[in-house]
Amino acid sequence: MQINYARREISCKLVFYGPGMSGKTTNLEVIHQKVPDENKGEMTSIATEGDRTLFFDFLPLDLGKVRGMTTKFQLYTVPGQIYYASTRKLVLQGADGVIFVADSGAGKIDENNESLLDLSNNLAEYGIDITEVPLVIQWNKRDLPNALPVEELEKKVNTVGAKTIEAVAATGEGVMGTLKLAASLVLDRLNTPEEGGAAAAAPAAAPAAPAKEEAPAPKKEVYVAKVGSDAISRTFFLQYCQLQYRLASKEAEVEDFKKFSKEEYRKYLDSLINYSLLLQDAKKRAIKPPMEKINAQIDGFKKKFASEKELKEYLDKRRLSLESLKNEATKNEIINILILEVLPNIKEMMKISDKEVSDFYNANKAKFNNKTLDELKPSLTNLIKGAKKRQALDEFYGKLRGQAEISIFEDKL
Amino acid sequence: MKDNKLRLKRLIYYADDLQKIDKLMEEFLKLSNAKCIFLIDKEGHMISNKGLVQQINAETLSALVAGSFAATKEMARLLGEAEFSVMFHQGSRDHIHIAIIGDRAISATIFDEKTTVGMINLYSKELSVKLEKIFDIAIRRVHQEQQVEADYSESVKDKLNDLFKE
Repeated sequence: MQINYARREISCKLVFYGPGMSGKTTNLEVIHQKVPDENKGEMTSIATEGDRTLFFDFLPLDLGKVRGMTTKFQLYTVPGQIYYASTRKLVLQGADGVIFVADSGAGKIDENNESLLDLSNNLAEYGIDITEVPLVIQWNKRDLPNALPVEELEKKVNTVGAKTIEAVAATGEGVMGTLKLAASLVLDRLNTPEEGGAAAAAPAAAPAAPAKEEAPAPKKEVYVAKVGSDAISRTFFLQYCQLQYRLASKEAEVEDFKKFSKEEYRKYLDSLINYSLLLQDAKKRAIKPPMEKINAQIDGFKKKFASEKELKEYLDKRRLSLESLKNEATKNEIINILILEVLPNIKEMMKISDKEVSDFYNANKAKFNNKTLDELKPSLTNLIKGAKKRQALDEFYGKLRGQAEISIFEDKL
Repeated sequence: MKDNKLRLKRLIYYADDLQKIDKLMEEFLKLSNAKCIFLIDKEGHMISNKGLVQQINAETLSALVAGSFAATKEMARLLGEAEFSVMFHQGSRDHIHIAIIGDRAISATIFDEKTTVGMINLYSKELSVKLEKIFDIAIRRVHQEQQVEADYSESVKDKLNDLFKE
Protein backbone atom coordinates (compact mmCIF):
# COMPACT_ATOMS: atom_id res chain seq x y z
CA MET A 1 0.00 0.00 0.00
CA GLN A 2 1.24 3.43 -0.79
CA ILE A 3 0.00 6.49 1.04
CA ASN A 4 1.20 9.52 -0.85
CA TYR A 5 0.42 12.74 0.97
CA ALA A 6 2.02 14.85 -1.71
CA ARG A 7 -0.27 13.49 -4.41
CA ARG A 8 -3.04 12.94 -1.84
CA GLU A 9 -3.39 9.41 -3.02
CA ILE A 10 -3.82 5.96 -1.47
CA SER A 11 -3.05 2.99 -3.63
CA CYS A 12 -3.73 -0.63 -2.65
CA LYS A 13 -2.70 -3.82 -4.38
CA LEU A 14 -5.03 -6.80 -4.67
CA VAL A 15 -3.79 -10.05 -6.16
CA PHE A 16 -5.97 -12.78 -7.68
CA TYR A 17 -4.36 -16.12 -6.91
CA GLY A 18 -5.43 -19.70 -7.57
CA PRO A 19 -4.79 -22.83 -9.64
CA GLY A 20 -4.56 -22.73 -13.43
CA MET A 21 -7.85 -22.20 -15.30
CA SER A 22 -9.78 -21.41 -12.12
CA GLY A 23 -11.00 -18.11 -13.56
CA LYS A 24 -8.67 -15.41 -12.26
CA THR A 25 -8.35 -13.54 -15.53
CA THR A 26 -12.09 -13.97 -16.12
CA ASN A 27 -12.70 -12.25 -12.78
CA LEU A 28 -10.59 -9.32 -13.91
CA GLU A 29 -12.35 -9.15 -17.27
CA VAL A 30 -15.73 -9.05 -15.58
CA ILE A 31 -14.59 -6.25 -13.31
CA HIS A 32 -13.25 -4.39 -16.31
CA GLN A 33 -16.64 -4.72 -18.01
CA LYS A 34 -18.73 -3.72 -15.04
CA VAL A 35 -16.80 -0.78 -13.64
CA PRO A 36 -17.81 2.59 -15.12
CA ASP A 37 -15.28 3.97 -17.60
CA GLU A 38 -14.21 6.89 -15.45
CA ASN A 39 -13.22 4.53 -12.67
CA LYS A 40 -10.98 2.18 -14.58
CA GLY A 41 -7.80 2.24 -16.54
CA GLU A 42 -6.68 0.00 -19.34
CA MET A 43 -6.50 -3.72 -18.67
CA THR A 44 -3.09 -5.08 -19.53
CA SER A 45 -2.44 -8.76 -20.07
CA ILE A 46 0.87 -10.37 -20.66
CA ALA A 47 -0.41 -13.63 -22.10
CA THR A 48 0.81 -16.48 -24.29
CA GLU A 49 -0.77 -17.18 -27.63
CA GLY A 50 -3.10 -19.65 -26.00
CA ASP A 51 -4.44 -16.81 -23.87
CA ARG A 52 -2.93 -18.18 -20.72
CA THR A 53 -1.52 -15.54 -18.40
CA LEU A 54 2.25 -15.46 -18.77
CA PHE A 55 3.34 -12.81 -16.34
CA PHE A 56 0.32 -11.01 -14.96
CA ASP A 57 -2.86 -9.20 -15.84
CA PHE A 58 -3.19 -5.71 -14.51
CA LEU A 59 -6.24 -3.53 -14.04
CA PRO A 60 -6.08 -0.21 -12.20
CA LEU A 61 -9.29 1.06 -10.57
CA ASP A 62 -9.77 4.62 -9.46
CA LEU A 63 -12.54 5.45 -7.01
CA GLY A 64 -11.91 9.16 -7.26
CA LYS A 65 -11.52 11.32 -4.18
CA VAL A 66 -12.67 9.89 -0.88
CA ARG A 67 -12.24 12.10 2.17
CA GLY A 68 -9.74 14.16 0.24
CA MET A 69 -7.62 11.21 -0.87
CA THR A 70 -7.71 9.82 -4.40
CA THR A 71 -8.25 6.12 -3.83
CA LYS A 72 -6.92 3.47 -6.16
CA PHE A 73 -7.02 -0.27 -6.25
CA GLN A 74 -4.60 -2.06 -8.47
CA LEU A 75 -5.70 -5.54 -9.42
CA TYR A 76 -3.22 -8.17 -10.50
CA THR A 77 -3.61 -11.80 -11.43
CA VAL A 78 -0.87 -14.37 -11.30
CA PRO A 79 -0.34 -17.20 -13.77
CA GLY A 80 -1.88 -20.34 -12.31
CA GLN A 81 0.26 -22.98 -13.95
CA ILE A 82 2.61 -24.69 -11.55
CA TYR A 83 5.76 -23.86 -13.53
CA TYR A 84 5.33 -20.11 -13.09
CA ALA A 85 6.12 -20.31 -9.40
CA SER A 86 8.72 -17.54 -9.37
CA THR A 87 6.48 -15.17 -11.33
CA ARG A 88 3.70 -15.69 -8.81
CA LYS A 89 6.00 -14.77 -6.01
CA LEU A 90 7.06 -11.57 -7.75
CA VAL A 91 3.52 -10.40 -8.33
CA LEU A 92 2.61 -11.14 -4.74
CA GLN A 93 5.19 -8.69 -3.45
CA GLY A 94 3.52 -5.87 -1.58
CA ALA A 95 0.02 -7.31 -1.93
CA ASP A 96 -2.40 -5.73 0.52
CA GLY A 97 -5.00 -8.42 -0.02
CA VAL A 98 -5.38 -11.71 -1.86
CA ILE A 99 -8.40 -13.17 -3.64
CA PHE A 100 -7.97 -16.90 -4.04
CA VAL A 101 -10.08 -18.11 -6.94
CA ALA A 102 -10.81 -21.79 -6.28
CA ASP A 103 -12.32 -24.21 -8.78
CA SER A 104 -15.45 -25.81 -7.31
CA GLY A 105 -15.28 -28.76 -9.72
CA ALA A 106 -15.10 -32.27 -8.32
CA GLY A 107 -11.57 -33.55 -8.71
CA LYS A 108 -10.06 -30.08 -8.31
CA ILE A 109 -9.55 -30.31 -4.55
CA ASP A 110 -5.90 -31.28 -4.88
CA GLU A 111 -5.14 -28.51 -7.35
CA ASN A 112 -6.83 -25.96 -5.10
CA ASN A 113 -4.93 -27.15 -2.08
CA GLU A 114 -1.65 -27.22 -3.91
CA SER A 115 -2.13 -23.64 -5.03
CA LEU A 116 -3.20 -22.52 -1.56
CA LEU A 117 -0.07 -24.11 -0.13
CA ASP A 118 1.98 -22.35 -2.80
CA LEU A 119 0.36 -19.05 -1.76
CA SER A 120 1.13 -19.76 1.86
CA ASN A 121 4.77 -20.55 1.05
CA ASN A 122 5.21 -17.48 -1.11
CA LEU A 123 3.71 -15.21 1.53
CA ALA A 124 5.96 -16.82 4.12
CA GLU A 125 8.94 -15.83 2.00
CA TYR A 126 7.84 -12.22 2.47
CA GLY A 127 7.46 -12.90 6.19
CA ILE A 128 3.65 -12.97 6.14
CA ASP A 129 1.51 -15.70 7.64
CA ILE A 130 -1.36 -16.68 5.35
CA THR A 131 -3.83 -16.32 8.23
CA GLU A 132 -2.74 -12.71 8.71
CA VAL A 133 -3.20 -11.41 5.19
CA PRO A 134 -6.65 -10.12 4.14
CA LEU A 135 -7.73 -13.20 2.16
CA VAL A 136 -10.98 -14.07 0.42
CA ILE A 137 -11.55 -17.47 -1.14
CA GLN A 138 -13.93 -17.39 -4.06
CA TRP A 139 -15.68 -20.71 -4.76
CA ASN A 140 -15.84 -20.20 -8.49
CA LYS A 141 -17.69 -22.20 -11.15
CA ARG A 142 -20.68 -22.87 -8.92
CA ASP A 143 -22.65 -23.58 -12.09
CA LEU A 144 -20.64 -26.70 -12.95
CA PRO A 145 -22.82 -29.81 -12.87
CA ASN A 146 -20.14 -31.57 -10.82
CA ALA A 147 -19.48 -28.65 -8.44
CA LEU A 148 -18.78 -29.86 -4.92
CA PRO A 149 -21.04 -28.63 -2.13
CA VAL A 150 -19.68 -25.50 -0.44
CA GLU A 151 -19.58 -27.29 2.94
CA GLU A 152 -17.22 -29.87 1.49
CA LEU A 153 -15.00 -27.19 -0.04
CA GLU A 154 -14.94 -25.27 3.23
CA LYS A 155 -13.81 -28.39 5.02
CA LYS A 156 -11.29 -29.64 2.51
CA VAL A 157 -9.84 -26.44 1.08
CA ASN A 158 -10.45 -23.54 3.45
CA THR A 159 -8.10 -24.78 6.12
CA VAL A 160 -6.91 -21.24 6.76
CA GLY A 161 -10.23 -19.85 8.01
CA ALA A 162 -10.54 -17.29 5.21
CA LYS A 163 -13.76 -15.47 4.33
CA THR A 164 -15.42 -17.19 1.39
CA ILE A 165 -17.90 -16.25 -1.30
CA GLU A 166 -19.60 -18.13 -4.15
CA ALA A 167 -19.29 -17.05 -7.77
CA VAL A 168 -19.76 -17.92 -11.41
CA ALA A 169 -17.15 -15.66 -12.94
CA ALA A 170 -18.05 -16.66 -16.49
CA THR A 171 -21.48 -15.04 -16.09
CA GLY A 172 -20.19 -12.34 -13.75
CA GLU A 173 -22.11 -13.57 -10.75
CA GLY A 174 -20.40 -12.90 -7.41
CA VAL A 175 -17.37 -11.19 -8.97
CA MET A 176 -18.05 -7.68 -7.73
CA GLY A 177 -19.08 -9.09 -4.35
CA THR A 178 -15.71 -10.81 -4.08
CA LEU A 179 -13.85 -7.64 -4.95
CA LYS A 180 -15.83 -5.60 -2.43
CA LEU A 181 -15.32 -8.17 0.30
CA ALA A 182 -11.56 -8.24 -0.28
CA ALA A 183 -11.37 -4.45 -0.49
CA SER A 184 -13.25 -4.06 2.77
CA LEU A 185 -10.86 -6.46 4.54
CA VAL A 186 -7.94 -4.37 3.30
CA LEU A 187 -9.65 -1.15 4.36
CA ASP A 188 -10.35 -2.49 7.83
CA ARG A 189 -6.60 -2.81 8.28
CA LEU A 190 -6.19 0.81 7.47
CA ASN A 191 -8.23 1.82 10.47
CA THR A 192 -5.36 1.12 12.79
CA PRO A 193 -3.48 4.40 12.91
CA GLU A 194 -0.02 4.45 11.50
CA GLU A 195 2.68 5.98 13.66
CA GLY A 196 5.86 5.38 11.80
CA GLY A 197 7.22 7.28 8.86
CA ALA A 198 7.66 5.40 5.64
CA ALA A 199 8.11 1.70 5.77
CA ALA A 200 10.07 1.50 8.96
CA ALA A 201 8.83 -0.08 12.10
CA ALA A 202 7.93 2.55 14.65
CA PRO A 203 8.31 1.31 18.19
CA ALA A 204 5.69 3.75 19.31
CA ALA A 205 3.12 1.96 17.26
CA ALA A 206 3.04 -1.15 19.36
CA PRO A 207 3.33 -1.05 23.09
CA ALA A 208 2.12 -4.58 23.47
CA ALA A 209 4.52 -6.56 21.32
CA PRO A 210 7.61 -4.82 20.10
CA ALA A 211 9.45 -7.95 19.18
CA LYS A 212 6.82 -8.87 16.66
CA GLU A 213 7.41 -5.70 14.75
CA GLU A 214 9.07 -7.13 11.76
CA ALA A 215 10.38 -5.38 8.74
CA PRO A 216 8.52 -4.57 5.60
CA ALA A 217 10.62 -6.87 3.52
CA PRO A 218 11.64 -9.70 5.79
CA LYS A 219 13.60 -11.33 3.02
CA LYS A 220 16.10 -8.55 3.41
CA GLU A 221 15.50 -7.93 7.06
CA VAL A 222 18.27 -8.60 9.46
CA TYR A 223 17.52 -9.81 12.94
CA VAL A 224 19.60 -8.80 15.89
CA ALA A 225 18.10 -11.23 18.36
CA LYS A 226 15.54 -13.91 18.87
CA VAL A 227 13.58 -14.01 22.10
CA GLY A 228 11.43 -17.11 22.38
CA SER A 229 9.12 -17.00 19.39
CA ASP A 230 9.74 -13.31 18.69
CA ALA A 231 12.46 -12.11 16.41
CA ILE A 232 13.77 -8.59 16.90
CA SER A 233 14.47 -6.97 13.58
CA ARG A 234 17.33 -4.58 13.15
CA THR A 235 15.03 -1.81 11.96
CA PHE A 236 12.89 -2.13 15.05
CA PHE A 237 15.90 -2.30 17.32
CA LEU A 238 17.41 0.86 15.88
CA GLN A 239 14.13 2.70 16.37
CA TYR A 240 13.96 1.45 19.92
CA CYS A 241 17.46 2.81 20.62
CA GLN A 242 16.51 6.21 19.21
CA LEU A 243 13.35 6.32 21.28
CA GLN A 244 15.10 5.34 24.51
CA TYR A 245 17.76 7.93 23.85
CA ARG A 246 15.13 10.60 23.25
CA LEU A 247 13.18 9.66 26.35
CA ALA A 248 16.23 9.78 28.54
CA SER A 249 17.88 12.77 26.94
CA LYS A 250 18.21 15.86 29.08
CA GLU A 251 19.24 17.98 26.15
CA ALA A 252 16.75 20.52 24.93
CA GLU A 253 17.02 19.27 21.39
CA VAL A 254 17.92 15.80 20.31
CA GLU A 255 19.83 14.71 17.25
CA ASP A 256 17.93 13.53 14.24
CA PHE A 257 19.62 10.18 14.32
CA LYS A 258 22.04 9.43 17.09
CA LYS A 259 24.84 6.98 16.64
CA PHE A 260 25.80 4.76 19.55
CA SER A 261 28.87 2.80 20.49
CA LYS A 262 28.86 -0.96 20.35
CA GLU A 263 28.57 -1.12 24.14
CA GLU A 264 25.62 1.23 24.14
CA TYR A 265 23.88 -0.81 21.46
CA ARG A 266 24.48 -3.92 23.53
CA LYS A 267 22.96 -2.23 26.56
CA TYR A 268 19.89 -1.17 24.60
CA LEU A 269 19.54 -4.65 23.17
CA ASP A 270 19.63 -6.11 26.65
CA SER A 271 16.89 -3.77 27.75
CA LEU A 272 14.83 -4.54 24.66
CA ILE A 273 15.19 -8.27 25.29
CA ASN A 274 14.02 -7.74 28.87
CA TYR A 275 11.10 -5.74 27.60
CA SER A 276 10.15 -8.46 25.11
CA LEU A 277 10.36 -11.12 27.82
CA LEU A 278 8.29 -8.96 30.10
CA LEU A 279 5.56 -8.51 27.53
CA GLN A 280 5.53 -12.21 26.73
CA ASP A 281 5.16 -12.95 30.43
CA ALA A 282 2.48 -10.30 30.87
CA LYS A 283 0.60 -11.84 27.97
CA LYS A 284 0.79 -15.29 29.57
CA ARG A 285 -0.62 -13.88 32.77
CA ALA A 286 -3.29 -12.00 30.83
CA ILE A 287 -2.20 -8.69 32.34
CA LYS A 288 -3.89 -5.73 30.77
CA PRO A 289 -2.46 -2.23 31.18
CA PRO A 290 -4.70 0.11 33.24
CA MET A 291 -5.50 2.51 30.44
CA GLU A 292 -7.41 4.94 32.65
CA LYS A 293 -4.43 5.40 34.88
CA ILE A 294 -2.10 5.79 31.92
CA ASN A 295 -4.37 8.31 30.24
CA ALA A 296 -4.49 10.25 33.49
CA GLN A 297 -0.68 10.28 33.58
CA ILE A 298 -0.56 11.61 30.04
CA ASP A 299 -3.17 14.23 30.85
CA GLY A 300 -1.10 15.25 33.86
CA PHE A 301 1.93 15.59 31.62
CA LYS A 302 0.00 17.73 29.16
CA LYS A 303 -1.10 20.04 31.97
CA LYS A 304 2.51 20.94 32.65
CA PHE A 305 2.41 23.02 29.49
CA ALA A 306 0.65 26.33 29.22
CA SER A 307 -0.59 25.70 25.72
CA GLU A 308 -0.88 23.03 23.05
CA LYS A 309 1.80 24.93 21.17
CA GLU A 310 4.31 24.68 23.99
CA LEU A 311 3.60 20.99 24.36
CA LYS A 312 4.09 20.48 20.66
CA GLU A 313 7.34 22.43 20.71
CA TYR A 314 8.61 20.38 23.60
CA LEU A 315 7.77 17.12 21.88
CA ASP A 316 9.09 18.22 18.50
CA LYS A 317 12.44 19.25 19.91
CA ARG A 318 12.83 15.85 21.48
CA ARG A 319 11.35 14.10 18.47
CA LEU A 320 8.84 12.42 20.71
CA SER A 321 5.13 11.98 20.41
CA LEU A 322 2.40 11.65 22.99
CA GLU A 323 1.95 8.14 21.65
CA SER A 324 5.53 7.18 22.46
CA LEU A 325 5.19 8.64 25.95
CA LYS A 326 1.99 6.71 26.42
CA ASN A 327 3.70 3.52 25.36
CA GLU A 328 6.50 4.14 27.79
CA ALA A 329 3.95 4.74 30.56
CA THR A 330 2.16 1.54 29.56
CA LYS A 331 5.41 -0.37 29.82
CA ASN A 332 6.04 1.01 33.29
CA GLU A 333 2.54 0.16 34.45
CA ILE A 334 2.85 -3.38 33.15
CA ILE A 335 6.14 -3.67 35.02
CA ASN A 336 4.44 -2.46 38.21
CA ILE A 337 1.59 -4.94 37.93
CA LEU A 338 3.92 -7.79 37.07
CA ILE A 339 6.19 -7.09 40.01
CA LEU A 340 3.23 -7.20 42.35
CA GLU A 341 2.30 -10.58 40.92
CA VAL A 342 5.71 -12.18 41.12
CA LEU A 343 6.80 -10.47 44.32
CA PRO A 344 3.67 -10.02 46.44
CA ASN A 345 5.82 -8.72 49.28
CA ILE A 346 7.37 -5.94 47.21
CA LYS A 347 5.49 -3.30 49.20
CA GLU A 348 7.06 -4.60 52.38
CA MET A 349 10.45 -4.59 50.71
CA MET A 350 9.96 -0.99 49.68
CA LYS A 351 9.46 0.13 53.25
CA ILE A 352 12.89 1.37 54.06
CA SER A 353 13.72 1.36 57.77
CA ASP A 354 15.69 4.11 59.48
CA LYS A 355 18.37 1.55 60.21
CA GLU A 356 18.83 0.77 56.54
CA VAL A 357 19.21 4.44 55.76
CA SER A 358 21.67 5.07 58.57
CA ASP A 359 23.67 1.92 57.68
CA PHE A 360 23.87 3.12 54.10
CA TYR A 361 24.82 6.62 55.27
CA ASN A 362 27.57 5.34 57.52
CA ALA A 363 28.98 3.02 54.89
CA ASN A 364 29.21 5.81 52.34
CA LYS A 365 29.82 8.71 54.67
CA ALA A 366 33.00 9.81 52.96
CA LYS A 367 31.13 10.59 49.76
CA PHE A 368 28.57 12.89 51.34
CA ASN A 369 30.75 15.97 51.97
CA ASN A 370 29.83 16.31 55.63
CA LYS A 371 26.11 16.49 54.96
CA THR A 372 24.10 15.13 57.88
CA LEU A 373 21.97 12.04 57.85
CA ASP A 374 18.81 14.07 58.41
CA GLU A 375 19.53 16.27 55.44
CA LEU A 376 20.04 13.34 53.15
CA LYS A 377 17.40 11.00 54.48
CA PRO A 378 14.65 11.54 51.85
CA SER A 379 16.99 11.25 48.89
CA LEU A 380 18.83 8.27 50.39
CA THR A 381 15.51 6.50 51.01
CA ASN A 382 14.59 6.95 47.36
CA LEU A 383 18.03 5.80 46.31
CA ILE A 384 17.71 2.57 48.30
CA LYS A 385 14.18 2.04 47.02
CA GLY A 386 15.34 2.43 43.47
CA ALA A 387 18.22 0.04 43.98
CA LYS A 388 15.92 -2.54 45.56
CA LYS A 389 13.41 -2.26 42.76
CA ARG A 390 16.16 -2.65 40.19
CA GLN A 391 17.52 -5.66 42.01
CA ALA A 392 14.06 -7.24 42.16
CA LEU A 393 13.56 -6.55 38.46
CA ASP A 394 16.98 -7.93 37.60
CA GLU A 395 16.18 -11.12 39.47
CA PHE A 396 12.87 -11.34 37.69
CA TYR A 397 14.47 -10.74 34.29
CA GLY A 398 17.12 -13.30 35.17
CA LYS A 399 14.40 -15.83 35.83
CA LEU A 400 12.61 -15.01 32.57
CA ARG A 401 15.86 -15.23 30.68
CA GLY A 402 16.54 -18.61 32.22
CA GLN A 403 13.25 -19.90 30.89
CA ALA A 404 13.38 -18.40 27.42
CA GLU A 405 15.47 -19.27 24.46
CA ILE A 406 17.44 -16.17 23.53
CA SER A 407 19.86 -15.80 20.70
CA ILE A 408 21.76 -12.62 20.00
CA PHE A 409 23.32 -12.03 16.63
CA GLU A 410 26.22 -9.92 17.80
CA ASP A 411 27.58 -9.35 14.29
CA LYS A 412 24.32 -7.74 13.16
CA LEU A 413 24.41 -5.03 15.79
CA MET B 1 -0.74 -6.90 16.85
CA LYS B 2 -1.48 -9.35 14.09
CA ASP B 3 -1.68 -6.55 11.61
CA ASN B 4 1.72 -5.16 12.24
CA LYS B 5 3.56 -6.79 9.44
CA LEU B 6 0.98 -5.65 7.03
CA ARG B 7 0.75 -2.18 8.46
CA LEU B 8 4.46 -1.85 8.16
CA LYS B 9 4.29 -2.63 4.51
CA ARG B 10 2.68 0.71 3.95
CA LEU B 11 4.87 3.04 2.05
CA ILE B 12 4.21 6.57 3.09
CA TYR B 13 5.44 9.61 1.23
CA TYR B 14 5.10 13.04 2.74
CA ALA B 15 4.75 16.29 0.89
CA ASP B 16 8.00 17.81 2.16
CA ASP B 17 10.05 14.82 1.03
CA LEU B 18 8.35 14.71 -2.34
CA GLN B 19 9.07 18.39 -2.92
CA LYS B 20 12.75 17.65 -2.57
CA ILE B 21 12.43 14.58 -4.75
CA ASP B 22 10.57 16.46 -7.48
CA LYS B 23 13.20 19.15 -7.51
CA LEU B 24 15.98 16.61 -7.95
CA MET B 25 14.08 14.94 -10.76
CA GLU B 26 13.62 18.26 -12.55
CA GLU B 27 17.34 18.95 -12.28
CA PHE B 28 18.01 15.49 -13.64
CA LEU B 29 15.80 16.11 -16.67
CA LYS B 30 17.60 19.37 -17.41
CA LEU B 31 21.03 17.82 -17.14
CA SER B 32 20.31 14.60 -18.98
CA ASN B 33 17.94 16.02 -21.61
CA ALA B 34 15.56 13.11 -21.11
CA LYS B 35 11.84 13.43 -21.91
CA CYS B 36 10.43 12.37 -18.59
CA ILE B 37 11.09 10.38 -15.48
CA PHE B 38 8.88 8.22 -13.28
CA LEU B 39 9.67 7.29 -9.73
CA ILE B 40 8.02 4.00 -8.81
CA ASP B 41 8.07 1.90 -5.68
CA LYS B 42 9.01 -1.73 -6.02
CA GLU B 43 5.44 -2.81 -5.50
CA GLY B 44 4.38 -1.05 -8.67
CA HIS B 45 2.76 2.10 -7.29
CA MET B 46 3.94 5.35 -8.83
CA ILE B 47 5.50 7.79 -6.37
CA SER B 48 5.98 10.79 -8.62
CA ASN B 49 6.82 11.86 -12.15
CA LYS B 50 8.28 14.82 -14.01
CA GLY B 51 8.62 15.93 -17.59
CA LEU B 52 6.51 15.21 -20.66
CA VAL B 53 4.37 12.45 -19.23
CA GLN B 54 0.98 13.29 -20.74
CA GLN B 55 1.07 10.63 -23.44
CA ILE B 56 1.97 7.85 -21.09
CA ASN B 57 -0.31 5.69 -18.98
CA ALA B 58 1.58 6.15 -15.76
CA GLU B 59 -0.15 3.48 -13.73
CA THR B 60 0.31 0.68 -16.20
CA LEU B 61 3.86 1.77 -16.89
CA SER B 62 4.60 1.68 -13.14
CA ALA B 63 3.16 -1.80 -12.74
CA LEU B 64 5.07 -3.11 -15.74
CA VAL B 65 8.37 -1.48 -14.79
CA ALA B 66 8.17 -2.90 -11.27
CA GLY B 67 7.18 -6.26 -12.73
CA SER B 68 9.94 -6.45 -15.29
CA PHE B 69 12.47 -5.23 -12.79
CA ALA B 70 11.38 -7.96 -10.38
CA ALA B 71 11.62 -10.51 -13.17
CA THR B 72 15.26 -9.66 -13.87
CA LYS B 73 15.98 -10.45 -10.25
CA GLU B 74 15.57 -14.11 -11.08
CA MET B 75 18.07 -13.70 -13.91
CA ALA B 76 20.44 -11.96 -11.54
CA ARG B 77 20.04 -14.77 -9.06
CA LEU B 78 21.08 -17.33 -11.68
CA LEU B 79 24.30 -15.37 -12.15
CA GLY B 80 24.85 -15.15 -8.44
CA GLU B 81 23.98 -11.45 -8.34
CA ALA B 82 21.53 -10.01 -5.82
CA GLU B 83 19.89 -7.88 -8.48
CA PHE B 84 20.66 -5.86 -11.57
CA SER B 85 20.77 -2.20 -10.78
CA VAL B 86 20.17 -0.88 -14.30
CA MET B 87 17.98 -2.03 -17.18
CA PHE B 88 17.72 -0.52 -20.62
CA HIS B 89 15.18 -1.08 -23.38
CA GLN B 90 15.86 0.41 -26.78
CA GLY B 91 13.06 1.36 -29.13
CA SER B 92 13.14 2.91 -32.59
CA ARG B 93 12.17 6.35 -31.30
CA ASP B 94 11.90 6.24 -27.53
CA HIS B 95 13.95 4.29 -25.08
CA ILE B 96 13.56 3.53 -21.42
CA HIS B 97 16.25 3.38 -18.79
CA ILE B 98 15.37 1.74 -15.47
CA ALA B 99 17.51 2.04 -12.36
CA ILE B 100 17.03 0.99 -8.77
CA ILE B 101 17.14 3.50 -5.96
CA GLY B 102 18.04 2.07 -2.58
CA ASP B 103 15.97 -0.92 -1.70
CA ARG B 104 12.51 0.42 -2.23
CA ALA B 105 12.22 2.45 -5.39
CA ILE B 106 12.92 2.37 -9.11
CA SER B 107 13.35 5.20 -11.57
CA ALA B 108 12.20 4.88 -15.16
CA THR B 109 13.54 7.48 -17.57
CA ILE B 110 12.16 7.85 -21.06
CA PHE B 111 14.37 9.54 -23.63
CA ASP B 112 14.89 9.91 -27.36
CA GLU B 113 17.64 10.92 -29.80
CA LYS B 114 18.20 14.26 -28.04
CA THR B 115 20.48 12.48 -25.63
CA THR B 116 22.35 9.21 -25.17
CA VAL B 117 22.09 6.25 -22.88
CA GLY B 118 25.49 7.14 -21.47
CA MET B 119 24.29 10.56 -20.36
CA ILE B 120 21.17 9.06 -18.81
CA ASN B 121 23.24 6.47 -17.03
CA LEU B 122 25.65 9.04 -15.68
CA TYR B 123 23.05 11.43 -14.30
CA SER B 124 20.73 8.71 -13.12
CA LYS B 125 23.50 7.32 -10.95
CA GLU B 126 23.90 10.71 -9.30
CA LEU B 127 20.16 10.98 -8.89
CA SER B 128 19.95 7.53 -7.31
CA VAL B 129 22.47 8.47 -4.66
CA LYS B 130 20.64 11.68 -3.79
CA LEU B 131 17.20 10.09 -3.72
CA GLU B 132 18.42 7.21 -1.63
CA LYS B 133 19.62 9.69 0.94
CA ILE B 134 16.21 11.34 1.10
CA PHE B 135 14.47 7.99 1.53
CA ASP B 136 16.98 7.01 4.14
CA ILE B 137 16.25 10.05 6.26
CA ALA B 138 12.50 9.87 5.67
CA ILE B 139 12.36 6.29 6.86
CA ARG B 140 13.87 7.17 10.20
CA ARG B 141 11.77 10.18 10.85
CA VAL B 142 8.59 9.72 12.81
CA HIS B 143 5.82 11.69 11.18
CA GLN B 144 2.75 12.42 13.18
CA GLU B 145 1.11 15.42 11.73
CA GLN B 146 -0.65 13.80 8.84
CA GLN B 147 -3.06 10.97 9.04
CA VAL B 148 -5.82 9.56 6.96
CA GLU B 149 -9.19 10.68 8.29
CA ALA B 150 -10.79 8.29 10.73
CA ASP B 151 -13.82 7.44 8.66
CA TYR B 152 -11.85 7.08 5.46
CA SER B 153 -12.21 3.28 5.27
CA GLU B 154 -15.95 3.39 5.77
CA SER B 155 -16.30 6.10 3.14
CA VAL B 156 -14.36 4.02 0.63
CA LYS B 157 -16.60 1.04 1.34
CA ASP B 158 -19.67 3.18 0.68
CA LYS B 159 -18.18 4.39 -2.54
CA LEU B 160 -17.34 0.84 -3.61
CA ASN B 161 -20.97 -0.12 -3.03
CA ASP B 162 -22.18 2.83 -5.06
CA LEU B 163 -19.85 2.36 -7.98
CA PHE B 164 -19.38 -1.35 -8.25
CA LYS B 165 -22.65 -3.14 -8.71
CA GLU B 166 -23.16 -6.76 -9.69
